[in-house]
Amino acid sequence: MLAKLAARSRRRAVLGSLSAAALVLTAAACGGSGDDKAVGGTVHLEFWGWAPGYDKSAELFNATHKSIKVTFKKLPSGGQGGYDKMLSAVKAGNAPCLAQIGFESIPTFLLEGALEDVSQEAGATKDKFVPWTWNQVTVAGRTYGIPVDTGPMAMYYRKDVFKKYGIAVPTTWDEYAKAAEKLHKADPEAHIVNLRAITLSGLAWQKGAKWFGTEGDAWHVGVDDDQSGQLADYWQQLVEKKLVATDQGYSPAWWSGLQSGKVATAIGAVWLNPLIAQNAPKAKGKFAVAPMPQWTAGEKKFGNDGGGSTAVLKGCQHKDEAVEFATWMSTDPDSLKNLITKTGIYPAATAGLELPEVNKGVDYYGGQNIYKVFGEAAQHTDTNWQWGPTQSQFGVDLDEATANAYAGSGTLFDAFSNVQKKTLSAIKSKGVKVR
Amino acid sequence: MTRDADSPTLPAADRPAPSGDHGPGRERRPSRSRSGSRLAARRNRSAAVLLAPFGVLFLAVFVIPIGYAVHQSLFRVERSGLGFGAPRTVFAGLDNYTRVLTDSTFLKGVGRVLLFGLVQVPVMLGLALLLALLLDSRVARFKRFFRVAYFLPFAIPGVIAAVLWAFLYMPGISPLNDIGRSIGADVDFLSHDVILFSIGNIVTWSWTGYNMLIIYTSLQSVPKELYEAAELDGCSGFRIAWHIKVPLVRPALTLTGVFSIIGTLQLFGEPMVLRPMTAAISSNYTPVMLSYQAAFGLNDYNFAAAVAVVLALATFVLSYGFLRLSTQGSR
Repeated sequence: MLAKLAARSRRRAVLGSLSAAALVLTAAACGGSGDDKAVGGTVHLEFWGWAPGYDKSAELFNATHKSIKVTFKKLPSGGQGGYDKMLSAVKAGNAPCLAQIGFESIPTFLLEGALEDVSQEAGATKDKFVPWTWNQVTVAGRTYGIPVDTGPMAMYYRKDVFKKYGIAVPTTWDEYAKAAEKLHKADPEAHIVNLRAITLSGLAWQKGAKWFGTEGDAWHVGVDDDQSGQLADYWQQLVEKKLVATDQGYSPAWWSGLQSGKVATAIGAVWLNPLIAQNAPKAKGKFAVAPMPQWTAGEKKFGNDGGGSTAVLKGCQHKDEAVEFATWMSTDPDSLKNLITKTGIYPAATAGLELPEVNKGVDYYGGQNIYKVFGEAAQHTDTNWQWGPTQSQFGVDLDEATANAYAGSGTLFDAFSNVQKKTLSAIKSKGVKVR
Repeated sequence: MTRDADSPTLPAADRPAPSGDHGPGRERRPSRSRSGSRLAARRNRSAAVLLAPFGVLFLAVFVIPIGYAVHQSLFRVERSGLGFGAPRTVFAGLDNYTRVLTDSTFLKGVGRVLLFGLVQVPVMLGLALLLALLLDSRVARFKRFFRVAYFLPFAIPGVIAAVLWAFLYMPGISPLNDIGRSIGADVDFLSHDVILFSIGNIVTWSWTGYNMLIIYTSLQSVPKELYEAAELDGCSGFRIAWHIKVPLVRPALTLTGVFSIIGTLQLFGEPMVLRPMTAAISSNYTPVMLSYQAAFGLNDYNFAAAVAVVLALATFVLSYGFLRLSTQGSR
């Protein structure tokens, strides 16, 4: 019986394979490469990224430059496969010259040997940028790209909710915890914040934790250091008292909570401002932006969430031209205007911070010039924050561990210790020294 | 696997004519009869021509990638200090395999999918057998409709099926939760204790119809005289099913059983789709997910390849062992 079945399927397989072979032949004819060629004195560069608006900046550049032509190619975002594609292209030896790489992934790319050292080509442009951003594209004294934007953080809060319950706008984390208590007492359905909608690394950055660093010839990991411990204990308290929400952040439920005021604040970066406006349209005029609460009254220390660079990938034959374009894109006023309005960036270039586009009242926030708050934060962001060399793995581990802590298995600090262990072994597995 | 391949002592001319499953270039002894050999040669040529497209494809999408994976699994990327110099690829022998087999998350993942298989496979095959017997019974009406209806879930791509079910599992969205609450059973389908069953349910829903069809097909080949004889002996429909049909479809049951076990070893799509919605599924929940995470989370392609090869070997051992068993049985 089985033999009969097999004979029948064999016949079908032959017929099937004939048509499939035809498919393979046509497929083999496709397949591009990111080769950058100089044609008749013009240098052609390819630029891979995913941010909306980057293509427009490339067009603006091409319109004003004769000897360099840049072609922007849109990929899925970094974490969604874009980085994998870049790394594979480097491996295959046909990578483009230019790539959009978030600050957090620069060391990871470096570990894979996927970046070109452009210290010489880029040396002179250092002064054009907010100091700490240059540190993000510079590792162990060598520079690998040009910063584009940053993600200074602040506190978005519902003026009306605070007023209704007579709660003062908190300026320290102590006050913030008290406000959380007061709010929850007044309205048991309301929470001061959804903890899962905050990027923890931004909080750790503000706290002065040192999650990653290099000491001599070894990496140092400190996800469970003292500062992180204090941070974990603070939030653990609020989680245990059920004063913060811990359901999925950036979900329909979260947006509707922001709109109804049941989630009274959001601690987030500058790029969150248009998102709130889009997703909570009915709360127009009810939100305001204040500086992030401080650990010590009167201090000015802020965290950062996001931001990235235009990096030069390994194998690029035209490093000078690549750096020229990347610098132009990050500093030229026309390009910046485009990126601020289309992409929603907050410039890493100091000149960009003076542009009217990032110094104006925003309608949704009742006409408040929210950029003043973010500008202040950008000026007081710790310049020494470093990212580790196994970022995608680290991100996954941190998400998993903290989600478990919020679900009640172990504390937040347990989660940090767990991530510490996993990260040490991940870095070791890459054949790199770590302490 | 045919008889003459295992018995090289038979002279070529006395063998049954070679059928299509001998590849081109198979060694043949010189035979006594000329015309016979010419005929055989021509047959072999045409067989080779007909097999070429398959051979090319088989090589391109099967043999070469597997060879490449094995090759990758024998190497390791070496770095020094902070790792900012150029990484070097060096031969690692079986180091990666040692790493895989001593990796607690890998072993946990294997244990998890085996447990999953122990529960889900019998349930699914039991259901498939029941449905096949019902369809095959005398009193069944609308056979064609039901056959298609049972088979339909298999026609929905696995990932789509997982997304459909994900919405049915999600608290706050799921109508199942509302129904459950109204009868006093409030189940969180995405919690640590229930998640494996939830995944099992998706797989069962997708594959029962497919397995039913295999069993049903083998039921079709049972000679009707058997049933007539049984009826004359006073067998009821139920007893015919139990004493005659079930033993006769045993080969089909083992076939579907082993394929299902292989499938569970490679569990990937369903947990991957459910992962963003629950903390109960880690990034290395199943062995294939571990391989995926190693490749795309840690960029450790060599370790990922070793995981894949170990899994492929396990799968191969299972299926080959089964094929030996089944061919012995059916002869």
